[in-house]
Amino acid sequence: MPYHQREIEDSGGRGAVVNPNRLSQVLSSFSETQDRGAFRELYDYYGPRLKQFYMKSGTDEATAEEMVQETFVLVWRKAHLYDVTKAAASTWIFTIARNHRIDRIRREKRFVSKDEHYFETELVAEGDQDENVDQPKMSSIIQKALAELPANQAELVKLSFYEEVTHAEIASRLQLPLGTVKSRLRLAFGRLRKKLAEFET
Amino acid sequence: MINHHISDEMLMSYAAGALSEGASLFVASHIHMCKKCAQRVFTAEAVGGALVDDLDGVPMTSCGFDDLMARIESEEQVSASQNDILVEPELNHIPEPLQLLLGKDYKDLPWKSVAPGVKQFILPVGGNRGEKTRLLKLSPGFVTPEHSHKGYELTMVLQGSFSDESGRYKLGDVQEADGEIDHQPIADTDEDCICLVYTDAPLEFKGVLNRMLQPFFGI
Repeated sequence: MPYHQREIEDSGGRGAVVNPNRLSQVLSSFSETQDRGAFRELYDYYGPRLKQFYMKSGTDEATAEEMVQETFVLVWRKAHLYDVTKAAASTWIFTIARNHRIDRIRREKRFVSKDEHYFETELVAEGDQDENVDQPKMSSIIQKALAELPANQAELVKLSFYEEVTHAEIASRLQLPLGTVKSRLRLAFGRLRKKLAEFET
Repeated sequence: MINHHISDEMLMSYAAGALSEGASLFVASHIHMCKKCAQRVFTAEAVGGALVDDLDGVPMTSCGFDDLMARIESEEQVSASQNDILVEPELNHIPEPLQLLLGKDYKDLPWKSVAPGVKQFILPVGGNRGEKTRLLKLSPGFVTPEHSHKGYELTMVLQGSFSDESGRYKLGDVQEADGEIDHQPIADTDEDCICLVYTDAPLEFKGVLNRMLQPFFGI
């Protein structure tokens, strides 16, 4: 079944299966109303996924659950900043989780975009996106494009996002020359951007 | 107008949170000045979002929605301003991530002279073995000793400009160099050229005299 046609169904707590496009509207309405029902829907969908996300980067299960809760405290507090015209719910929640992972697990100084400023950046169209793009829809286009990537490119993209592995670490883990790692990632991003550009025109 | 940008693979790994602290500071500083690269990072973050959508969830066992709500209610009084960022207007010429790290203007940093015409300031960011993130200040007309790279080097102009065989680099421009590049940058205006430089391995200088400089570059 195409992803965007899936309906809500019981998935045994593994994260409700729901149309992610709709969740952007849910988050958007939550950001205006602070409605608990909407918040619960986001939690049911993203909670188990974020638990998996944190566990993939080597976090134990108990800590991962704790981090999921912390992430949703952040989502609750920052929801008023959310702007559905600029990012899909998945994108915004990903950035909060990514930042939380850097703060909490790596305890590093964080130089990625500040959550508070996330929607302030004024962007220019350069073929990637423009302000009229339906962000939530874009997310499903990306998902489709990801599924169509050659396996050796998709693998490196996933290692980067799920396990936050640097180019050098990927190279040593997969026994690949560093140049190959870089070029595969570059090709992958190029393909994804091309798909998005086609979608826009 | 920025003419030299950061490669897609670096932007994507930055969006993934998969760069070391130094490299991440570098990319963050560049996208603060470059809308085009900021746009690509946004796109890459949407890739991250799609990948989260794509995960098979693991059921939550010990923490439920009610626990979450109880926690939110007990923590809600936390001041919303705790994350406010203090930015000094007189430091606005410095990209924000760097500004927050330095807290002062370039001219007020404790620069260390490493050779006639070159000063550096090592930035207090962590990194893997061999990695260094620094500011370099080249006097006008200064010609960097010809060097090649064992590893990977990112250079961004923060003030002034420099040129080498590959072109001219002005405010916000980035040069990304790997082991194959052999170059000799020259500060080509009448003001000091200040650059943010990230290296993941020591530079290799050519010639006996230049090799004597090597220890001074803090390697």
